[in-house]
This record gives sequence, C-alpha cells and structure tokens, in this order.
Amino acid sequence: MKKSISLLIGGVQGEGIISTGINLMKALSSLGYYTYGGRSFSSRIKGGNTSITVHIGIECKMWINDEVDIIFAFDNDTIYKYAHLIHKNGLIFYDSILTPELHRNDKDNIKFVPLPISEMAKNNGVEIIKNTCAMGFLGYLLGITRETLHEVTIKRFKQKGLEIIKNNINVLKDVYQYSEKNLKAYNTFTLTPTSIVKRPLMTGNDAISLGALMAGCRFIASYPITPASEIMENLGKLLPKYGGTMIQVEDEIAAVNMIIGGSYGGVRSMTATSGPGISLMMEGIGLAGMTETPIVIINSQRVGPSTGLPTKHEQSDLFTLYFGGHGEYPSIILTPSTVEECFNATIRGFNLAETYQCPVIILSDLALSLTPQTIEALDFSKVEINRGKIYTPTESDEYKRYQLTNDYISYRALPGTRGGIHHTTGLEHNEMGLPTDDPLNRKKMMNKRFKKIEPLQLGEEIIIHKNNSHVLVLSFGSTYGVIKGAMKSIKTPVDFGFIQMIKPLPIKQLQGIIESYKHIIIVENNYCKQFATILKSELGNHDKIHSLIKYDGTPFTLKEIITEIGGWVN
Amino acid sequence: MTTIKEYHNNISPNWCPGCGHFSVLRALQVAAVKLQIPNEKLTVVSGIGCSGRFSGYVNAYSFHGIHGRSLPIAQGIKVANKELTVVAAGGDGDGFAIGLSHTLHAIRRNINITYLVLNNQIYGLTKGHTSPLSDIGTQTKSTPTGSLETPIKPGIIALANGISFLAQGFSVYQEQLVNIIIKAIQHDGFSMVNIFSPCVTYNKTNTYQWFRKHLVNLEEVQGYQTENFETAMNKLIETDGLCTGVVYQNSNSTSYLNKLSQNGLTPAMDTSLPLTRGDFEEIINLYR
Ligand SMILES: Cc1ncc(C[n+]2csc(CCOP(=O)(O)OP(=O)(O)O)c2C)c(N)n1
Ligand code: SF4
Repeated sequence: MKKSISLLIGGVQGEGIISTGINLMKALSSLGYYTYGGRSFSSRIKGGNTSITVHIGIECKMWINDEVDIIFAFDNDTIYKYAHLIHKNGLIFYDSILTPELHRNDKDNIKFVPLPISEMAKNNGVEIIKNTCAMGFLGYLLGITRETLHEVTIKRFKQKGLEIIKNNINVLKDVYQYSEKNLKAYNTFTLTPTSIVKRPLMTGNDAISLGALMAGCRFIASYPITPASEIMENLGKLLPKYGGTMIQVEDEIAAVNMIIGGSYGGVRSMTATSGPGISLMMEGIGLAGMTETPIVIINSQRVGPSTGLPTKHEQSDLFTLYFGGHGEYPSIILTPSTVEECFNATIRGFNLAETYQCPVIILSDLALSLTPQTIEALDFSKVEINRGKIYTPTESDEYKRYQLTNDYISYRALPGTRGGIHHTTGLEHNEMGLPTDDPLNRKKMMNKRFKKIEPLQLGEEIIIHKNNSHVLVLSFGSTYGVIKGAMKSIKTPVDFGFIQMIKPLPIKQLQGIIESYKHIIIVENNYCKQFATILKSELGNHDKIHSLIKYDGTPFTLKEIITEIGGWVN
Repeated sequence: MTTIKEYHNNISPNWCPGCGHFSVLRALQVAAVKLQIPNEKLTVVSGIGCSGRFSGYVNAYSFHGIHGRSLPIAQGIKVANKELTVVAAGGDGDGFAIGLSHTLHAIRRNINITYLVLNNQIYGLTKGHTSPLSDIGTQTKSTPTGSLETPIKPGIIALANGISFLAQGFSVYQEQLVNIIIKAIQHDGFSMVNIFSPCVTYNKTNTYQWFRKHLVNLEEVQGYQTENFETAMNKLIETDGLCTGVVYQNSNSTSYLNKLSQNGLTPAMDTSLPLTRGDFEEIINLYR
C-alpha cells in the first residue's frame, strides 16, 4: 500500500493523453485523494510527445516529484525520454504494440510490463478508447473499483450517446478481467484507503474564471494567448447563462479599452492575457489609472521577452507591472499562490478595483494557471461584493466626479444616472473632470490618485508558516507549493511564506519581518531577481535579502529547493 | 422638452476659428434634441486629436480616451448598458491609422453604436502631418515632397467589410448632416458617418471651396437606392468617395446585442449581481 504515488502518462500529442490523466485525477479526487498534475507540452497541437505527470496522495501536495513510480507509455518516445526518471522499484507499462528498448541499470528492479491496450481498444470499437483502457489499468493498479471508473466514464461521455458509453464500459470490463489474471503481482501500488470526500479538480485558470463569475463580473473582452485562454473560454460558456458577455476581440489593445468602457458603463469587466498582451495593454492600463476606472486584468505569465518560450513557465512580468506604463498612476497587483487563492484573489481583485477605482492585476504564472489539482471546496459564504462609492442622485449638491475627499476616493456616476453627468479624460483634469494644466491642480490630483491606495500598505499580506527559524523563504505565485514540499522533507525546515499583494507592498508588515529575521531568501522564476530588487528598493537591508532564481522555463524542483535552502539552515 | 441649450456645456471649444469640427458638434447636438435623448442617456466617446476634444463639449456623459481607441471604449459601454445612446467620434488619423483595426472590427461586430469620423485628411493636433486619408501629393511636415502613399478609401473599405450603415456628410451641409446622424443613431447596428470637416489651418488642399466643388449630393441623384450594396459601391468608385448622404443601409441588420438576445442569451447589464449557492454548487460539480 502506498500513501503517495507519482505516475507519468505519455504519448503522441493530440491523442487524449492529457485527458486520460485528468479523468483519472477526477476519479481519484472524488474518492478523497489529492492529485496534482504537471503538464509538459509544446506549441504543436498534433504530433510530438506530450506527457502529464500526476502526483496522487492522501495528503495535499503541490509539486511534482523528481522521480516517478509508474510510467504509462503510449509511444516509444515516452520511454526514451522519461525512463531515467523511474524509481528503482518502478513500473513501466507500455502498449504491447510498441517495441521499446528495455534496458536500464541492471541492479534496479524496474519492471517493464506490456499491456494489450491497442488490441483491447480495437476489439471494443474505436482507437480512441485506448484512453479509457489506460485509465482502467491504472485504476486497477491503484485499487480503484471498476464501479467508480464507470461513474467517471458515464459522466465524461454523457453527451456522446449511449453507444459510446457502452463501448467504454465494455473495455473497462475487459481491462479489469485481464488485470485480475495478469497484474495481481503489482498490488504493492495500491493506494492506502482514505475517507471519501468529493473534492473538485481545478486549474488556476478555472478558479480565476469561477472567482470572476462569483464576483459579479459580467463582461470579459480577451484575445487568445497561452496560458490564459481558458479564462475567456470558461467565461464564454458560463457568462451567457448568468447574464453576461464574452467577446473575443481583435487584439489586447481593444480588450483593455473595451473593459474600460464596460466598467465605466457600470458592469464589472475584466480581461485575461499573458506577457505579450500586457505589453500591448500598457497605454490602456494608464488610461484606467488616470480616469480612475476600475478594471481587472489577469496576467498569466510565461517566458518572455517577445514570444520567448510561449508554453513554458516564468515570473518575469513583475517589473513591467510594478513600474510600468508611461507616467505614474496607482495600480494594485495581487499574487495568488494556490488554486484556492486564485478564486479568492479574483473576487478580492474586483472589490479592490471598485473600492480604490484603479486597475487591479491578478498575477498568475503558467504553472499555477495550467496545473490541474485537487483542491479544497471553495467557500461560497466567503463571496462578498463591495462595489465601492457609486453615486446616487441627490437634490442638493453639485456632483464632482473627482471630488477631493478625506480618503481621496470620489463617487463614480454611471452613465444613465441623472445629475451625474461629467467628463472623463486621460488628460489631467480638475475635480469636475475637465482638462486643466494648472500646476497646483496637477499636484493635488497626483496626490489624490496615489494617496487613495496608501491604506493598503498597512495590510497583512504575507502569510508565514513558522518553524522557529531566523531564516525566511519568501515567494510569490506557484513557487510556494514546491517550497512547502521542500520544508516538509528537510530535517530542520526554515520559516516560509508567500505574499498575496505585491503592489502596493505591505510596507508595515515587511518592516516587522525584516527586523525579525536574519536572512530572507526570495525565490522566484526570473533572471533579474525582480521581487527581491523591489523589496530592496523599498526596504533597504540589502545584506539581509538574498535570492534563489531559476529562469530556464521550468518551475523549481523539490531537489533544487532542498539543496539551495539546505545551505542556509546549517 | 430638451432644447439645444441643454446640450451645450458652456465650454468654448479650443478649435481654430473656422474649423469644420464646430459644425459637426452642432449637428450632433441638434440630432440629439430632435431625437429627444435625455442628456444622461447619451454617452459620447472620443479619441485623441483636435477631433478628440469633441466629447468634452457635449453636455452628456463623455469619455475622452486615448489615440485610436474610441471604438473599443464605446463598444464596451454599449455592452454594459444597452439603454444608452453611444456615439464615438474621432479624426481620420484616429480611425484609419492607429485605430484602423478597431474600425474594421467594430464594423464586423455590428454593436449598436454610431461612429462620427471627423475627416480633415490631415493630422490637426500634431500641427499638420500627413494622414492615411491625405491625397497623393499632399505636402505636409512629414511629407515635404508630397505624400507618396495611396490614400485609404474609408467608404469603400467599410462597405467591403460588410458595414450595415454608411453615410457621408459635409460639416457645411448642416441639415443633411443632422438628418444623417439621426438615421445613424436609429439604425440597429454599427453606423459610420464619414464627415468632411475641413482643417483650415493645415490642409490647404481640401478646403471648403474644394469640397463644395467636388461633393455629389446623393439625395439629388435620381433613383439612388440606399439599400443596394452594388449601387453604393459603384457610386463611391464613381465619385472617388466624394459624395454625401446615406450611402448604404441594410435595414435588416440586427445588432450584436440583439442577436445575443434572440439566441436566448442575456447581455451584461440585464442581470442582478449575485449567484445563488445552488448556481455555485452546480458549477463546482462540473469540476468533480
Ligand atoms: C499612441 C499615440 N501616438 C501619437 C500620439 C500623438 N497624436 C495625437 S493626435 C494625433 C493625430 C491627430 O489626427 P487626427 O486623428 O486626424 O485628428 P485631428 O487632430 O485632425 O482632428 C497624433 C498622432 C498620441 N496621442 N498617442
Ligand atoms: S488645427 Fe485644424 S483640425 Fe485642429 S482645430 Fe485647427 S482647424 Fe481644426
């Protein structure tokens, strides 16, 4: 019996490899197990090897092991590329029509097991049934009952009709019969039973989409880009049902300007993109800052600059967003670290955007946006909507869109509101919204725009797991998952945490943190140590702030974190 | 009764005396009065340029955005609140250089807004640079030996791209312009009015006199049918685009948002905000 297992499923891209993994993960998640799936894929849609590495366990784990216990190969490439990852007591299943080279270190106890996948699939109708076949074999191995897999299969093929469901159910029967006869010897791979809790399987992009919907976002204008497209796809399906619209626009410039219009018009509006899109949006983001129009932008980061490595992971847009756009304007950057946080941060993002009337960026990264994983149930009761100061007509006073107030925030009058007519412009303007180049006014309005978000600097935005150490490892985005894993695996773990809001920086909390630690190690996926540099520029203490960086397009592995952080513990 | 006075906001435009843009502004104000649109239900969006200041002179909700992007902003506003009358306005540079792609896509998308092009075939605000609509040979600061590039033909590309309402006006022909703007606003879909609006300071070629001499009034063309795509296209070719009146209207046009409604979908503003716990659970179940 195993408390945790890692398995890699690989084959030719476009043949449903990933969905085989996902369906297995769904089945396991509904049985109470935690899963986490690392995808490797190229920009090619068909052809080329693709794989998904799935971690399965009775505890939540947000990283991929360096070794895998089981490889399930649909093609020779998978064995060729990944056999070196297999654990010394591991198991390599492969389709019996393949002829892989089967030698590895003789000392190891690796088993190569051919399975009649193609053959069974052919007997039961169509080639594509291979995937159900694979799920069956893996399910059997892990100790999942055939009935559970039936349920998953029926749900998956519901739309495709009875005939297809029947074929798939039949193939599962064949697989289990075959396995009973031939695979009993491998029962060491059975998972330790766990109590049944039906948990959802989601990616960061799924959670962001759902968060947006729950936050009352009813308009998304977007231009497709990896790794953000799923957000517009999801909302394109969901929004029309709940009163809302998704428009795939001509480019990201249109996207940002259209949501400025949408939000100005009174509807919570958003766009989702990645680095190249952010570059195109910068002028529009400045317009939102200047006109104090609330907008929410999801930036799921990938490797840049230019087209970089479009399907690989990086966290290198921080400088652009922190400092970026011409001129100076307030903006807020939220940095969720887990899928659950993607949901919460998105809802919070809409509330902050409307409360502070400025652009809010939810900064995700490829690993967070695309990694499917079992998550804890999202909390409906936590959904709160705060639309900030919205003008309702009164008899007496004269309406001023940019009235200077104690908290520097003024009432927004939505078009259509009587008595709220005003001018909005990207030019510097006075309290009425009318253009003026008066120096005194310029200064007042700059102060207004910046001072309104100052209270956010007083918040507690850094969540720390304490291990009684004088060292703190701090990260943003998906990197938190593997750090958490590393701390569980080392003898003397240090304190570690993640930051939820990078702009404005929670200065007050950070000052306390700087005082209480000897060393702070910032872990991030970029070359220029972007987060560490920002921290140093705002906090000084250059000698205390250290960096662990990686910029090869892949997320940190457990081993890397353990090795690097280990040095600080001793 | 709304009167024209209520559409003034008492700010005097910073345009040069004699600039065509004054008359276009007035035409929109008169049209709004004739249509009896309450001030707060009208939203005017403009880009950047001399023409960009347009929105700032109308007593309505007005949004002066960035160069070339009035159309995306205007479309966003309409999606958010379809009860509003949304009018976008901008120069020929705004709509056919930096913002050309948005113009073509707004045409395709057919969201129910009206787009006034304040066309002076020159960049006024930057003090006289060439525009993609400048005639070949036009001398400007950036084309000292005369423009070499073929001008874009706004009417023809709009038609070719499937526009559902196209009209052209001349700032001087007030009555016609007002009527055209009224028809444009009433049209269910994206309507574009290309308005010849001379720049008296920087365009010494396409002057008031020049336009008076060259423009053909389609209302005076016997038997001209605005519903006929082919005649419209031919007329634009024949007059080299120099004609005024409604050039083409597809009165069967259904705007984007109305198409959504016909498909049983609800565009933005129609729904109150929160979802119920039941809705939430239903969606979560998709991920189980
Ligand atoms: C991104 C950007 N590039 C350049 C400019 C400078 N600019 C302002 S208005 C303008 C062109 C104005 O010409 P047009 O749109 O024809 O309007 P007009 O002034 O003639 O009414 C330019 C290039 C700008 N504001 N923004
Ligand atoms: S420069 Fe030309 S377009 Fe600008 S205000 Fe003067 S006349 Fe009008």
